[in-house]
Amino acid sequence: MDKQKIEELKKLIRSRLNRPMRYYLDLCTRCGLCYDTCHVYQGIPKREYSPVGRAEVVRKVYKKYFRPTGKLFPYWGDAKELDDNVMEELYEAAFSCTGCRRCMAFCPFGIDMPHILSIAKVLLIANETAPEELVMLTDAAVEKGESIEMFKEGFMDVVKDLQKNVQEKLNLPSDEGLIPMDKKGANILYVGLSGAHSIVNPAIIFNAAKEDWTLSFFEGVNFGAFAGDPEKMDFIAMRIINEAIELGVNEVVVVECGTAYRIMKFLMGKQPFKVSSIVEVAHRYIKEGRIKVKEGAITEPVTYHDPCQLGRNVGVFEEPREILQMLCTNYVEMSPTREYNWCCGGGGGLVALDNEEFRIKSGKPKKDQIVATGAKIVASACENCVMQLGTIQAGYNLDIEVKYITELVTENLIVE
Amino acid sequence: MWESIYAFVMVPMVYIAFGVFVLGILYKLYVVLSSPPIKGTLGMFPQTLPRPIGVLRDSLLVPTAYMKDKVFWFFIIVFHAAFLLLFLGHLELIQEFSIIQIIPHEIFLGKGFVGIALIVSTLYFLFRRFRPPYSLISVPEDYMILLILFLTMIFGSHMSMAAAYGVMGFDVSVADYRTYLSSLVAFRPVLPAGITYSPHYVILVLHIFFANLFLILFPFSKMIHSVFTFIAHNTKRK
Repeated sequence: MDKQKIEELKKLIRSRLNRPMRYYLDLCTRCGLCYDTCHVYQGIPKREYSPVGRAEVVRKVYKKYFRPTGKLFPYWGDAKELDDNVMEELYEAAFSCTGCRRCMAFCPFGIDMPHILSIAKVLLIANETAPEELVMLTDAAVEKGESIEMFKEGFMDVVKDLQKNVQEKLNLPSDEGLIPMDKKGANILYVGLSGAHSIVNPAIIFNAAKEDWTLSFFEGVNFGAFAGDPEKMDFIAMRIINEAIELGVNEVVVVECGTAYRIMKFLMGKQPFKVSSIVEVAHRYIKEGRIKVKEGAITEPVTYHDPCQLGRNVGVFEEPREILQMLCTNYVEMSPTREYNWCCGGGGGLVALDNEEFRIKSGKPKKDQIVATGAKIVASACENCVMQLGTIQAGYNLDIEVKYITELVTENLIVE
Repeated sequence: MWESIYAFVMVPMVYIAFGVFVLGILYKLYVVLSSPPIKGTLGMFPQTLPRPIGVLRDSLLVPTAYMKDKVFWFFIIVFHAAFLLLFLGHLELIQEFSIIQIIPHEIFLGKGFVGIALIVSTLYFLFRRFRPPYSLISVPEDYMILLILFLTMIFGSHMSMAAAYGVMGFDVSVADYRTYLSSLVAFRPVLPAGITYSPHYVILVLHIFFANLFLILFPFSKMIHSVFTFIAHNTKRK
């Protein structure tokens, strides 16, 4: 690696030294309490897959260039210079981590390891060694944001076809306006994904609740966050924020995608609208009697997988459980659960990469948890999680069905 | 020559160490506070207690360590509690503090056992680092700091125990310590003959030398966790 490149990368590190990053980089004592808290380490027990092992790769580079001890006595803290080997280590660290922050729940200092790894990701992008798939998907989302007018018509045609599914489910005489778009003054702006299920099921719920809503032109998923490009992450999220402000909605409701929800709710600062997850909204409608579901309709054992970004990272624990307990006669909790729940292994954009074998291995703790519950249906509320749970099911030959919470709600909706 | 080295350790180096310690911590805090904040929040859930109480609980009682490794947690608590008691003991070596004497005790509560508890915990931390997986994540700093702490404590404990040799005239009296330490605080340093002529003078010099090293390293090593842990736990509960 030439000197100019190293200087460029050093500047990038400096640009990421925000307030929490400063103390996260300084305060680890390498006590090792986080060592086995990562699902990847459980599946593939190697030091480089332990949370501290990952964070140390970044920390050693930081020490080398930003700490007097690292500059004068690199041996003291094992400070490392940037070179091709270190870049490979950074790749392994950054793109084996799903950003689930389970390690943070066990860290005696509450260090946010994925926040530290965001340095690794920006370095990899600058070094042009970040995963191509994620970079391309990020650029595509940015392109869509820059020239939305080109995409609008095609998207509206697709959505028109989806209205028929909503009409059928709700036995309505016409499919006209069942998935409204570009509706100024609507109460809710719903942000879906590219998959039809992420639009149809919520549309059924909104229509059944007689909600005044409109569908966003943009997908909630934020590949900028997965790739680790903070500017593009902001741009991708800002597309939706600007749309919501332009339409003057009161609430932005985010699809079952944990990362999209966390970014919108916690990582973009204060917004002039409320941010909710579709799961919270469905729960609210049920509680208010705006929609009715068949209570106890599911008799097979059901368990719930807490998406890390929705559960421990945003705090939505009760709503999905209350919905499931209403729908099922045999709800079984996983162990450990809630904030200590094992990550499935699909987050951080890892499901978008060509790494199935790795994800099956790293999904082992989740597989063990599911098997221990004896559940036949595993419900979750995140696109990445549902996809990864599908990979785990196929990889370990599990006799289970994986379903979204909204899917279970619409399947068991009482249509009046 | 040795007399000059001893005198350097006992006076100028103490000032240097305290200066580096205080200014170093202030500098580290300045670096953190002058860095740009993030626009969102990095909180984690559920947040069951009011934030200040939660931050204090997580920082002082280390419940996550209790969950993961009870033996390690026990030594963490013993180490930090003993450290606090010894800090109070050293304050009493400067002058009398009636507030510390609410429970009347001889200077250095615990008759030497607090120091021993600290040494045992330090050794536990040190030996723990020699076995995997902890050896795999340890860097030289981790061993060196524990070694410096161990040496500081072993010489300090010796000085405390040496008080028991009083009849044989080996000890340094509390009055001599107070003369020395209060003179340092007043910036009019005096090294009383009771200290410099004590057969244990070299032990005291070594104790103070390693304590000085500890203070100098404190802001620029992982020991800064004792300051940053509160800030990080506050972020976790935001």
